[in-house]
Amino acid sequence: MKHKISVIAFLVMTLLINISIKAGSDFDKAMMKAKKNLKEAMDKSDETKLIKVRGQFERILQLKKDIWLVNYYIALSDYGLSMTGMASNKSDVIKKYTLSGIDVINKSIDENPEFADSYVLLENLNFNRWQYEQDKMQEIISATQSADDAAKKLDPNNPRLLLTNGIASYYTPEAFGGGAKVAIPQLEKSIDVFKTRKEKKDIYPDWGYDLALGYMALSLIKRDDDGDIKSAKSYIDQAVKINPESDFISKYVMKQYKEAEKE
Amino acid sequence: MKKIILFFLLIINAVPAYTQDTDSTESELTLISGYVRGERDKPLEGVNIVIKGTIDGSTTDKKGYFEFETEEKGNHKLLFTLQEYESKTIDIEIIPGQNINIDLIIRKEEAKTEEIIVTASSFTSGSNNAVTLTPLEIVRIPGADADIYRAITTFPGSNQVDEGSRITVRGGNPDEVLTYIDLASLYNPFLFDQTFNVSSYSTINPWGLKGINFTSGGFSAKYGNVLSAVLDLKSYDMPQSTGMFAWMGLANASLDGVYLSKERNFGATFSLGKLFLEPYFAINGKYSEYSPIPQSNQLGGTLSHKIGKTGIIKMYANYNDDKVGIYNESPTFDGYFNSSTKNIFSNIKLTVAPSSSTLLNAGISFSGNNRDISYGIISTKTDNTYSKARVEFTKNLTSKIDINTGAEYEYTGYDLSGIVPLYSFNIGNNAPSLNLDISEKTGRLGIYAESQIKFSDRFFAIPGIRADYLTISGNISYDPRISFGYQINNLNSVRGAAGIYHQYPKLDYFVRSPENKLNPEEAVHYILGYEYNNDNKLIFRVEGFYKDYKDLVLYNRRDLYYRSEGDGYAAGVDVFLKAKIANKFTGWISYSYLDSKRKQYESQNTAPSNYDITNNLSVVGSYNLSSQIVFGATVKLSTGKPYTPVTGSYYDKEQGVYVPEYGATNSARFPVYSRVDMNAQYIFSLLGKFAVAVIALNNIFNQNNIYDYTYNYNYTEQKEIITNNRRTLYVGLGLQF
Repeated sequence: MKHKISVIAFLVMTLLINISIKAGSDFDKAMMKAKKNLKEAMDKSDETKLIKVRGQFERILQLKKDIWLVNYYIALSDYGLSMTGMASNKSDVIKKYTLSGIDVINKSIDENPEFADSYVLLENLNFNRWQYEQDKMQEIISATQSADDAAKKLDPNNPRLLLTNGIASYYTPEAFGGGAKVAIPQLEKSIDVFKTRKEKKDIYPDWGYDLALGYMALSLIKRDDDGDIKSAKSYIDQAVKINPESDFISKYVMKQYKEAEKE
Repeated sequence: MKKIILFFLLIINAVPAYTQDTDSTESELTLISGYVRGERDKPLEGVNIVIKGTIDGSTTDKKGYFEFETEEKGNHKLLFTLQEYESKTIDIEIIPGQNINIDLIIRKEEAKTEEIIVTASSFTSGSNNAVTLTPLEIVRIPGADADIYRAITTFPGSNQVDEGSRITVRGGNPDEVLTYIDLASLYNPFLFDQTFNVSSYSTINPWGLKGINFTSGGFSAKYGNVLSAVLDLKSYDMPQSTGMFAWMGLANASLDGVYLSKERNFGATFSLGKLFLEPYFAINGKYSEYSPIPQSNQLGGTLSHKIGKTGIIKMYANYNDDKVGIYNESPTFDGYFNSSTKNIFSNIKLTVAPSSSTLLNAGISFSGNNRDISYGIISTKTDNTYSKARVEFTKNLTSKIDINTGAEYEYTGYDLSGIVPLYSFNIGNNAPSLNLDISEKTGRLGIYAESQIKFSDRFFAIPGIRADYLTISGNISYDPRISFGYQINNLNSVRGAAGIYHQYPKLDYFVRSPENKLNPEEAVHYILGYEYNNDNKLIFRVEGFYKDYKDLVLYNRRDLYYRSEGDGYAAGVDVFLKAKIANKFTGWISYSYLDSKRKQYESQNTAPSNYDITNNLSVVGSYNLSSQIVFGATVKLSTGKPYTPVTGSYYDKEQGVYVPEYGATNSARFPVYSRVDMNAQYIFSLLGKFAVAVIALNNIFNQNNIYDYTYNYNYTEQKEIITNNRRTLYVGLGLQF
């Protein structure tokens, strides 16, 4: 009798594991597909595609698995949409998606406060608040600093954190302690980490390597010491090799390089 | 046995694979398609559609069109979601081979219950669309000295009492304006309150506020026992981050800190402040003799804790004290007016959302104000205590109807002891006097209910009613109120309000009334306004109002009691124009016309009220020279306040002093009030941290505005008392770390 019960129990367990593996594999498949679409939409700053991919992640929420990670990607889509608003100078778009992104990423952090990338994204979203509420300068500085500190505590060598710091320095005037000279070592470190970094799971975020190379090129162009322009080209080439689809690299960074080269 | 297990394992593992194969070859796909539109049939892009429990779905394109195929069969729920719009779920039956077509209209989300309700006469900030005043503007308004009340006086309808923080609204008395913070009534949010020729300062830190709603009339039924205006402040429930901010200025220093736990479920803040005026006087000079020089200390803090997923409890406490002695000359006494005050305020607030459409707020608060005054024969100690318990319940009944109801009980205690002169005109050291030892207390129970009803996308109304019962007099007052808004189109709207407002007289009047028979003072408000608002880049607002007063406290000369026999009215127009140009310039012009007359207190005939400022103009501008430098200027111009002149005097042999004879109440006016203030802010990096430097020049043309008049011993010579707010320079430096 005991034998029979053990066999039935074993079979039920096997069945459950099987169902779970299937659900897990559906989730991973859907996530990988959406992640790929998100990359394509971000590469082209395509608002329509970004809206669609945001919806794709929202639908994945129905599987009720790793909700914190799905929310991370929804917030990342919002960040991408907010950036398209910046490119088209539409402050209402920036505001709408920045607010939504902050709301969603905070939900993600509530569910998994140990994921450094969430804080990096929160920091980036807070940076975008500058575009529509300069009156909350002190609050924004506190919020970005606080997110940066949290990410550093969890994963000080996160390449997207180092990249974010590098980008922030690149855009910050020298009078405020920023500038290309400050950005270059930060971006160098980010690139070094990207070279060897392998995320724990394929569905985890891995974006940023091409951006780090691109901003490195921009920083070198801005610094313009001897040999900087030549080095910038080498970083652009590496970025194009990693991500030939990126408009940011092939259009914006390349244009800056060509102008600098002419001078 | 092992063989059997292996067999079963093979079967089980084969099942999904077999099923998948069968599905892919034999199942029929169903096409689900359609259009989603918003108000006025506008196609909606980005609507997410999903069959609940699956990932089958799609997102609408620019035309609002969507389509997707699914292998699902049978009854399902189809979910439609879009940011800022209400989610919608519809039931569908999927029959293989039969495509489904759906056309749907979804509506924009209603304002959330926590958001501030827009009513007539209000200037709000926070998440509301009608943002007209932000914390940064408060800090940047030249002449406002980062003080929320002074900032408000640059908007229509309100005026400073004495260039300090006390404000008067549409001709009413300063006591008719009530400040709320997180549901608690804040009765003494001032330093140097009502101190002779010393400007009062607010104790409220504008940076800690997430919502500022100033309403100069026609306000909601939730606000009780207030006649003229409400300043409703909402602080952040939880700190937004961790950090410190230190400030060092020519006259003051402060240190603020905030802490937010990693889990973001616990937060704490503290605030320390000290006023020291020696360096300020050394640079700007002194226009009065002081002993002691004005001084104050402040200490405060909050603790917040999240309870579950939707609850939060917040505790707030603040202590401040101030002390000053200022030399003054009067017909019967020359010497120092000394004042010393201690204030404490604490509040505990609990917020829970039992469901997504329900919000419950409850709070208890305590405040105490202790003040000692001495001047000539006057030597008094006053203690005011207030405690309040309040509960408030809000529910979204439907997408068109919200209800909000609540109850509050407030205890007020008043103690006065000391010596006061028998006659107000004689305050000399040997003047006839009275020894007082008065103690009075009362309770007030208030209940209210109101509903926000959206009759259409363009028209809403907020009807409400409240009732208050005062234990000391046994009076019950009933206040029906209504406000409405009509959105003509995206740019233009009309708003209005009408209602009855009551406020019980202060306890010191009950002390001097027959058998505590004083009615609550009553005002009936009528307001109608028009607003043009182009996305907050250009706002124009014009508003007319009429207020009818009755049962005002009036001194009865027959029996020497205070009785509810006064009346009066206030009528006027407020005009406001605000422009914001490309993050470079922000500025506004506000103008108010007022005619306010009352028969109140000692005034036996209807006469201009104490704050009947006929014309009042403010012009404020702020220009961002670069991302680091901001310049600002404020110009204020207004009709002088009314006062009652002395027309003669006679000699009283018994007391050995002259007794003034007064003309008609408020029949004379001070000269026109004018003042120009400028400031500049420089934002930079110091030691790698965010830093801000401020330089402010107040009253740059050194206008000698009059604070009051006094007289020589026999009242034959009128002397001007010039305000101490002459041309002054202030510099300060703040560092965030």
